[in-house]
Amino acid sequence: MYDTFVGLEIHIHLLTKSKVFCSCKAHYGDEPNTNVCPVCLGYPGVLPVLNEEAIKLAYVVAQSLNCRLSPRTLFERKNYFYPDLPKNYQISQFSDPVGENGFIDVPLAEGVTKRIRIHDVHLEEDAGKMIHAGDMSLCDYNRTGYPLLEIVTEPDLSGGEEAEKFLQYFQRLVRYLHVSDGNMEEGSLRCDANISINKTGGGLGTKVEVKNLNSSRFVRKALEFEFKRQSAQFEAGTRIVQETRLWNENRDVTESMRSKESSHDYRYFPEPDLPPFVPSADFLRLVDSLQVELPLARRERLKTTWGLSAEQADFVSESKTLADYFETTAKASGQGASVANWLMGDVQKELKHFDLTLEASPLSSARLAQLVTLLESGRIHIKIAKQLLIAVFEENKDPETLVKEKGWEAITTESQLQPILEKVFTEHSGVVEAIRAGDQRQKGFLVGQVMQATGGRAAPALVNQLLAKALG
Amino acid sequence: MKHIMDIRELEITAELAQIAFTPAELERLGREVTQMVSYFEKMKEVDTDGLEPTTHAFVKANRVRPDTVTPSTLADAALERAPELEDRFIVIPNVL
Repeated sequence: MYDTFVGLEIHIHLLTKSKVFCSCKAHYGDEPNTNVCPVCLGYPGVLPVLNEEAIKLAYVVAQSLNCRLSPRTLFERKNYFYPDLPKNYQISQFSDPVGENGFIDVPLAEGVTKRIRIHDVHLEEDAGKMIHAGDMSLCDYNRTGYPLLEIVTEPDLSGGEEAEKFLQYFQRLVRYLHVSDGNMEEGSLRCDANISINKTGGGLGTKVEVKNLNSSRFVRKALEFEFKRQSAQFEAGTRIVQETRLWNENRDVTESMRSKESSHDYRYFPEPDLPPFVPSADFLRLVDSLQVELPLARRERLKTTWGLSAEQADFVSESKTLADYFETTAKASGQGASVANWLMGDVQKELKHFDLTLEASPLSSARLAQLVTLLESGRIHIKIAKQLLIAVFEENKDPETLVKEKGWEAITTESQLQPILEKVFTEHSGVVEAIRAGDQRQKGFLVGQVMQATGGRAAPALVNQLLAKALG
Repeated sequence: MKHIMDIRELEITAELAQIAFTPAELERLGREVTQMVSYFEKMKEVDTDGLEPTTHAFVKANRVRPDTVTPSTLADAALERAPELEDRFIVIPNVL
């Protein structure tokens, strides 16, 4: 009935130590107005100077999104009056952004990807943070001048669900690239959405912008609400107004935000204080060297190289750190699927139990590889392997060492098992007699006794074999 | 063609620049700005086909700084100039 067109404007904080145009600390959560100086406070006569790390990370993102990289990128002043930026303009980019005309392939479902076009990628400075309380507003300029990268997509997404998936994938991507922590709660990844709907085949409709979307879930919910609201207007024959709306997370609705119609003229002009940036061949080589295998490509490769299921591949490719850990372990042990299962199951459980991250835990990839190898080669049983994992967490020692210290190696030879079997027979002579008299049901009891006597180390097949031999 | 800065256009420009004018001031500025704009009209007559716009003169190389933090020694001094403070926040009338 209707076509929905959704485009996103995503802002990410770049992972730099200092701000984009001055050397104030770029750090979340400090005391208000401590990381400020005359440059970011917009005092007259100051000179902004571009942070070389920020421009490098901007190009890294643009290249990873398959953009045409600008051979001469220009900064411009975007003029607007609001107390979150004391200069009354934001240094941004308009005519020559870092990157243009890119695309990104996004996984939507198993085996289904969609190519979303990227309009442009541009570098700008973030504005300050304001708290509105009663008759006053409180201003904190610590965030003013944070390097902010804006990524603008074409309206290629078909609704809330796709937008949510896109955003989740994009978050994974910037973390893989190590350009942003992508943390939406702390505002280092923010998103505005444009949505228009029209009768099927009618092309783009009237654009409505939705702001204040602090999580990917809100993006989906706000867009789903907008679809309902706008399609109802279509049904009623009411004209859809081009406007900006705010998501109200308490009421699950979008609300119209009154804004002055004439305020949309930002009067961009070249920032006279900042010369254009011309990337050198060396700079572009450096940017190229910082590209990584993107999450989707990595996930697919993990499936084919290590025979992982879709679920396993999803899990281990969640972060680059985990994917790297997985591959190191899989290579060292030669056991892809088994390593993935350990990571998804018991390792997760113990990390939660000991309240540790994988990187901070005593379980190095070499140790997990050792554990998996011990198990897969039959030197320990699965029950022992689980105990062994806990022991690694508790004692911070190598699995090989622990197995030796604790005598956990499996009992796999007849000569080791025979004396234990005889001891059990002596202790439970009544049961032995009963079995010999024909009560086969009691055999399980003896198996249990042998397993108990060996601390679970006896190979069950061997126990059954020896029992059958001894009891006829 | 001579561009006349009419009152409506001037009002929009003044609003964008957040400057308030009386009708008398607008009247006078209308004439003055029209004269200024006409200078630009004159410049626009020059044939600039095939020329790159000059956004910056005398720029020979990129100007960048390393990503290092300098502790901000002027933060407190800047705050002292704020008309009203609350726990290091700068207080202004509610703008929402």
